[in-house]
Amino acid sequence: MKKRATLGFEESKAVFGLLRAEQRPLEEIVSDFNSFFSHGRQFIPCFSISILLQDKKMLSSTQRLIAFAILQQAYSSQKPSANPFISLLINAACDVEAEKYERALILQLLQLFGSDGSSGGKELLKQSAADYIKSFDPSVHAFPQHEQLQQQYADKVHPERYNSPLKDSSVRNVIADPDVPRGFDVNSSEFDLQPGANPKLSSGDRDETVLGLLSNLALEGLGPHWKRPIPPRLPVQDDELVWLNPVDNHELLWDDGMCVDTSRGAAVRDLIAKALKGPLAPAQQEQVLLELANDPKLVYHCGLTPRKLPELVENNPLIAVEVLTKLINSPEIAEYFTVLVNMDMSLHSMEVVNRLTTAVELPSEFIHMYITNCISSCENIKDKYMQNRLVRLVCVFLQSLIRNNIINVKDLFIEVQAFCIEFSRIREAAALFRLLKSLE
Amino acid sequence: MASSSSSSLTVANRDGSSSASEDEAVMSVTRAYAQDALLQFQSGKFDQCLTALSECLKRKPNDPKIFHNIGLAEFYRDGCSHPKRLLDVLNDVKKRSEELARASAEQVESGSNIGGSRGSSTMGHPFSAVYMDEFDTYVATLNIAVIWFHLHEYAKALSVVEPLFQNRGPIDEKTALNICLLLLDVGLACHDATKSADVLVYLEKAFGVSCMNQGDSGSTALQQPANPVAKSPSLPTNSSAADGPNLDSDANALEAEETGEYDGAVFDMDVAQPTALLSSNDLSRNPVDISVSSVYLKLKMQLYKVRFLLLTRNLKQAKREVKHAMNIARGRDSSMALLLKSQLEYARGNYRKAIKLLMASSNRTDARISSMINNNLGCIYYQLGKYHTASVFFSNALLNCSSLRKDRPLNLLTFSQDNSLLIIYNSGMQYLACGKPLLAARCFQKAGLVFYNRPLLWLRFAECCLMALEKGLLETTLASSEVRVYVIGNGKWRQLVMEDGVSKNGNSGSFERGDLFLGSDQQPKLSMSLARQCLSNALYLLNCSESSYCKNSLPSNFFLEDNELGEVASSKNSNNKNFHSIDSEASAFSVGLGQSGINGDAKEQKAGTTQELVQNSLLYYADIRNKENLLLKQALLANLAFVELELENPIKALSIARSLLELPECSRIYIFLGHVYAAEALCLLNRAKDAADHLMTYLSGGNNVDLPFSEEDSEQLQGVRAVDYEELNGGSMSAKSSSPEDTLGIVFLKPEEALASLYVNFAALYAMQGELDQARQFVARALSLVPNSPEATLTAVYVDLKLGKSQEALAKLKQCSRVTFLPSGLTLNKAS
Repeated sequence: MKKRATLGFEESKAVFGLLRAEQRPLEEIVSDFNSFFSHGRQFIPCFSISILLQDKKMLSSTQRLIAFAILQQAYSSQKPSANPFISLLINAACDVEAEKYERALILQLLQLFGSDGSSGGKELLKQSAADYIKSFDPSVHAFPQHEQLQQQYADKVHPERYNSPLKDSSVRNVIADPDVPRGFDVNSSEFDLQPGANPKLSSGDRDETVLGLLSNLALEGLGPHWKRPIPPRLPVQDDELVWLNPVDNHELLWDDGMCVDTSRGAAVRDLIAKALKGPLAPAQQEQVLLELANDPKLVYHCGLTPRKLPELVENNPLIAVEVLTKLINSPEIAEYFTVLVNMDMSLHSMEVVNRLTTAVELPSEFIHMYITNCISSCENIKDKYMQNRLVRLVCVFLQSLIRNNIINVKDLFIEVQAFCIEFSRIREAAALFRLLKSLE
Repeated sequence: MASSSSSSLTVANRDGSSSASEDEAVMSVTRAYAQDALLQFQSGKFDQCLTALSECLKRKPNDPKIFHNIGLAEFYRDGCSHPKRLLDVLNDVKKRSEELARASAEQVESGSNIGGSRGSSTMGHPFSAVYMDEFDTYVATLNIAVIWFHLHEYAKALSVVEPLFQNRGPIDEKTALNICLLLLDVGLACHDATKSADVLVYLEKAFGVSCMNQGDSGSTALQQPANPVAKSPSLPTNSSAADGPNLDSDANALEAEETGEYDGAVFDMDVAQPTALLSSNDLSRNPVDISVSSVYLKLKMQLYKVRFLLLTRNLKQAKREVKHAMNIARGRDSSMALLLKSQLEYARGNYRKAIKLLMASSNRTDARISSMINNNLGCIYYQLGKYHTASVFFSNALLNCSSLRKDRPLNLLTFSQDNSLLIIYNSGMQYLACGKPLLAARCFQKAGLVFYNRPLLWLRFAECCLMALEKGLLETTLASSEVRVYVIGNGKWRQLVMEDGVSKNGNSGSFERGDLFLGSDQQPKLSMSLARQCLSNALYLLNCSESSYCKNSLPSNFFLEDNELGEVASSKNSNNKNFHSIDSEASAFSVGLGQSGINGDAKEQKAGTTQELVQNSLLYYADIRNKENLLLKQALLANLAFVELELENPIKALSIARSLLELPECSRIYIFLGHVYAAEALCLLNRAKDAADHLMTYLSGGNNVDLPFSEEDSEQLQGVRAVDYEELNGGSMSAKSSSPEDTLGIVFLKPEEALASLYVNFAALYAMQGELDQARQFVARALSLVPNSPEATLTAVYVDLKLGKSQEALAKLKQCSRVTFLPSGLTLNKAS
């Protein structure tokens, strides 16, 4: 939205033309101004005019009157306090060094606020600037104090137009830099361009300057400047430049599995299926183990799912151990373990776990959970004979685990100790208890 | 059931259709066609191959594997010109296979009672058990990854091939090896050290130490006519292309040359003496032997190891291992080893030596190789600060690439060997270094097709925008390095109007909606808004990568466990990873593991097992990546705060500057920027007091301001690299002395200039609060340090004007050399 807030050349010329129309009624000038700058766009020309007014020598007396009239009339439809230039108008009205007629005009203009359409106002604006000066009678006018005007017109002064202090406190960005020879009085009219005369050294045309200023005054003025350093470029990083090496020729693979003889391992699959139903004959068992050993991938194709594992464990614990050992690296091994932990305790399941502990390293959570299960199975069993049997088995199993350093006794100490005390009548439990004590 | 021909399950179809013997006959015919198809495929007769495949399809309709191979054959028949189309086919095959596998599994579960008996009765119809071989998708999945790899879509390739590696259990050895090698290449290309490390360790275990056993057992596993297919499609193209010695140490190429002298012996690869290795001819024609001679696999592994060490910047070990690789390669093709050696010297800063090695290894007649060599030479000259020489090499490399694209016949390698997008990134860096932001942006835009998920790319893009701003190339801005003064009127009425140019450069937020990146001419359109977008992208990517590490931080004993369990744990772990595939993964280790001794380890370590080597490198690399990411974050936040100020969003700028200041171990340069940006944002928010607090940190008493940073800080910023050399190489000071010339130094304020900016800002702050005397003092100091600074001059002029000293203001304005006096451009036509 922010292009440079200055007037274009044509606009500048138009404003300048209006300022110079000292013979036209103020009314006409104002309405021309309003038609040239639609509502909302009048701020920029008004601002430029206000800047010009600040240098008292820049505009002629009639031009100043017209300028003040424009500043007031451009915002006449609003409350006086909404006029951005109200302070300037009030200050000018109270400026004792200014010409009386100028102050009087401003006062009259200020009175126009609110008295819209009254005949007095109309008449004031019907005059031209030159007429006003000519017919001016200082005796008619009284000049009120600054405070009084302030109270009357600017009690609720419009909040700051900009909220940035860097811009708020900006000053006029125009500096007079008179180009006259040293020692000469700048104010001497000698350097004014005389109509018709040849331009002298160091003479200048005021009109030209006014027009130039109009088209170059930026809204912002000049503020204090903040140094905002541009951040440095990040130095090139170590890996950043791409160093090229030849890459492997990764070719597309033909799918060999297409239409192949799927009988691979069929014998083993059949045997495994049988093994789920009942114990295999030694020769058959031998064959399964041999084929599994020969083909490390066969285990994935032998048809054993986690759900079927308990049957295999009960019927052919040795084959179960072999299969699980081979599957140890597969992502599904956790599933198999879960099934193993949750199946009913039995000699065979314990044998499988025991053998597994020596063959591969099992996750300690798994072993712990299995032991906990064993203990609770012992406690829950109703048949006394079966219970004794199971307790003895568990004790032997635990002793074996402890002796082989498969488990860390400390992790399960309380649980196992309670178990030993509960079944202290059984010899193996007492022995386990002694083993625990000796390790303490 | 027999009539259910509509069923997509071929299993079901055949199962009940007819007697076993009839079935068997059909099957054997089908198998014969399948064999024929493979043979035709291998000999490059794709039309015949397709005919055979269609015969297969007649007998086994809807078999996804047949569709798979048809897709492959058609792809080669059409000259490899539509890899994307093949991707569609493969994805379709994969989807269909998975559906079939699911359906078959359900069927098995429901009919498991009768399954056993039927399985035993009909040999060769193993439909009873869970037997998914028929519907496995390993090959299709691997091929998808291979295509992505060749298309330089490494992140996608990684996300496809990584799960395969994790679930490698049931996969046959040949495919598994291919998976591993692809994953290694992809992981290295993604700068993903952890994934590469997993594979390296696994390969060493599976094919290295226990090579004997695995090889033996593997041989029985592969009784299918599984001639290594990998080489077959390459044969026609390779032979016709006549492209000279194959540099990429590709086993296939070597096989073609030397097959004759090798017999089928499987060789134990862990033999210590390379000479012994060389003397034994071990390349096997037996398809069982995973298509690789063990020496070549060993060399290949060694080269991967070197590349891994280079990636993790374990340069000392890399040097050791590259020597080893040279030994293995002796008498054979050692060009790859030479190239890596050159890369090693490049990484160590021995640029002259790197150049020599590159020249020695080069085979300039081959466009593929010469494009790489040219590119690498460009990198070296860039590092030497000789940007113009670098640009010549980069553009030669690009020329080589475009000539490569015209090569016929196409094969997949043509795509991966067209490295133009990668080279273009280097070009972009070179343009940026030469101060040509528009050209650089164009390069980064193109390179974005490959590097879109790297935060650095986006930072570089933003830097292009900032550089364009600095140089006054943005449409909406003016050069900020000058004060423009309009001279209006003449003579007595002469007036000077100062244009408030410096503060006006912040108005570039306006441009039409639509594509942020491209102007109407499809060229990147640099602007501050684009910079903001790029920086947000980069921050997002960086945060993503960081948070994904935290989620997945591995157990600290990850690599210490030598047992199989560790592997299970690791696979579990990586299964959970969401594949952000942003480089710099290794930082996973950074949090959990103590930093102590990390640096030392890499230095001290003797040649241990691959596992130790890999582990130490990973730790070391994690540390480096951490530092780099931290630096990157500082840069991103500083740039973003600047951009938000430019876009007049002081609130955002403030919060960003604050997070910059909160970063741990922030460089003093970025701290300085953080304070200055935060102070300005606070000023703009009318909070001069808070702004003063930020500046006050540099006030040392009275009106003295400390230097906000020192020369060393600037050096440190550009030289994480130089420091590491010394750490790693101990004595090799030559590396340091030959490393970056001063041209490479960061372009930034000198400490004194930074001090002057602080003075200017203090002055502005005081002036704003109406304390003009204070302001005058500060601005005088600023002017004494930087007499020509536009900001200092304008503030000084402002203060003088405020104090009513317009003559002094005029004098200052006229003294400053960076003021341009312009005519107002207006003369009054008397016609008005």
